[in-house]
Amino acid sequence: MSKGKQLGKLFGAQIKMMFREKQVWFWNLFFPIILMVIFMVIFGGSGSSEFKAKVAVVKTSANATSDMLESYLRQVPVFEWKSDVPVSEEQADAWVKDKDVEAVIILPSSSESTTLELIVNKENEKSATTQAVRGILDQIIVQSNYAVSKVQPTFKLETKAISNGSEDLSYVDFLLTGMIALAVAQGGLFGMVDMVEMRRKGLLKRLRMTPVKMGLFGVAGMMVRFVLGIVQIIILSAIGVLGFGANLHLDFPTLIVGFLVGALAFNALGYLFSSFSKSIEAYMGMANIASFLMMFLSGIFFPTSGFPEWLVPVSQVLPLTYFVNGIRDGMVYGSGIATSDFWMGIGILGVWGVVAFGIGALIYRKGKVEVR
Amino acid sequence: MSILEVKGLRKSFGTVKAVEEISFSVDAGEVFTIIGPNGAGKTTTLEMIEGMLEPDSGTIVINGLTWDKNAEQIKYIIGVQPQSSALFELLTVQENLELFASFYPNSKQAAEVLEMINLTDHRGKRVKSLSGGQRQRLAIGLAMVSDPQIIFLDEPTTGLDPQARRNIWDIVLKLKGLGKTTILTTHYMEEAEKLSDRVCIVDQGRIVTLDTPAKLIDRLTKEREVRLFFQDGEQAAIDTEGVAKEQPTVVRTAREGSALKLWSVQPEETLYGIFGFTKERGYRVEQVSIREMSLEDVFIAFTGKEWRD
Repeated sequence: MSKGKQLGKLFGAQIKMMFREKQVWFWNLFFPIILMVIFMVIFGGSGSSEFKAKVAVVKTSANATSDMLESYLRQVPVFEWKSDVPVSEEQADAWVKDKDVEAVIILPSSSESTTLELIVNKENEKSATTQAVRGILDQIIVQSNYAVSKVQPTFKLETKAISNGSEDLSYVDFLLTGMIALAVAQGGLFGMVDMVEMRRKGLLKRLRMTPVKMGLFGVAGMMVRFVLGIVQIIILSAIGVLGFGANLHLDFPTLIVGFLVGALAFNALGYLFSSFSKSIEAYMGMANIASFLMMFLSGIFFPTSGFPEWLVPVSQVLPLTYFVNGIRDGMVYGSGIATSDFWMGIGILGVWGVVAFGIGALIYRKGKVEVR
Repeated sequence: MSILEVKGLRKSFGTVKAVEEISFSVDAGEVFTIIGPNGAGKTTTLEMIEGMLEPDSGTIVINGLTWDKNAEQIKYIIGVQPQSSALFELLTVQENLELFASFYPNSKQAAEVLEMINLTDHRGKRVKSLSGGQRQRLAIGLAMVSDPQIIFLDEPTTGLDPQARRNIWDIVLKLKGLGKTTILTTHYMEEAEKLSDRVCIVDQGRIVTLDTPAKLIDRLTKEREVRLFFQDGEQAAIDTEGVAKEQPTVVRTAREGSALKLWSVQPEETLYGIFGFTKERGYRVEQVSIREMSLEDVFIAFTGKEWRD
């Protein structure tokens, strides 16, 4: 039988084995979907809605200052009002304690008083919402000060959100592409558990007794993993776009190069783990550690820019960092193939893959003698 | 003409000497059985011949080919069923056969192999759901799918119930019918006796003895054990024992109630004399048997050890 036909047969057999394994369905498809949906629901909002803070206002006495401030506050679009009229201080306290509102603003008690009070729940003192509300109030106070002292501000800040390429990069897009990279990477890290199982059962030995080339077996296996990766990309993208309003700007050359190199690199890592794992448990432990470390250090769920300085170099050596960048280049930024940054990342991924595969193959070759 | 020649095989694992000195040759079409207790070196010997382990010293020639020069060619003419029946659990019986068939240029049709291993009715079942005997038959099927000249079966019946074992024996006999050379390991003496043309008994990495089952037993001893059971009570047995002791062919006797045992170098002659006596006295003999010598006796005789399954 020709090599091509043999490859076809091996591919067919391995794809059947993969999709007949329930674990594969769970870990490679359902798990990433569940994780992505949870993150999107918690952090992504419903896609169209923006940041909102639920607040209430307390006006101890009606006076010019407090009336003016209240009318300003009522116009702030991100505030969602618990009550259309000012409430008593006791009521407001109760709301804050029960977390019915995220913040209560106490207006000045007289025209002469210039103090604005912000009350938040202790638990939320450091939360992003509190920070945002405080920022807005600061802004209002500054504006009011200008109005009162009748000066024109010298400097003005204009914020405009941009990203390279698309104008509407949202957290949902960020998370979607992160999850795709993570799913494909985990497919590689965990997928090589078959090798451990095959060695344990004597199947690797059995195949070596036949004239089939183990390389051909490996190529067929890799093709199966590419198919799985493509299925993961399609399903996750469909859920992200249709369910959460993600916007994708696809650049196929970038995506294809990033995907192929990344999938190869992570499968090579899995192969390396399998070469020295005597049991499935040992392998899974190793794959879990690698996957968890990278999940949080490579900017899957949150951008790495918020990391403390000492952590940045760690993130910069991890392969997932470059893989997720490559996937984002190909799926949301719609560019990359022409940039040196992209090829730099691909190069680092490639080095990870080649080194991992090289060491793995060496261990397999050496181990062959010892197997009894 | 010998299709397999093994000379002076040795293999150690660290300080453990698994195989110390094994040499034999197997003729084409023979069923050759290597038998011995666990840890005797059977599997190690087989794996060296199959090219899975490199011997520390010694030579292996398969149909004129050697592993260091002709590894590829050898793989085309041997079929192996390893001790751990290595199968793809998530594939069906037929899919396993077809996959292995695709590795070889002149493989047998899956249907033909299924027929031989009697799994045609189960061909659509995944390996996961097969019984132990069915799995073992499939493993043998995979060994024969390439239509090899030599088939290696490593303990194909270990751990199987008597019926499943008999099913495997049927397959081995069918292979013999097809003129295949089969190298078999087992630790069941009964199996070696039933299936083999020649038996090689190994213990502690060495060949204890090697011959046809019948000759091995023959060579062992001339004494045969004869048992008689009398219907008329103990006295008949006591009287007969007295007569038996006088016979020149009888070496010794033993009696337990109305059961009499005697060891004779010529059982026919002895029985002729005894039946003359019992007929004269009118003693009725209920049971007579001459115990067959088994390979177990051979093993015990050659090694001085008890046989343990």
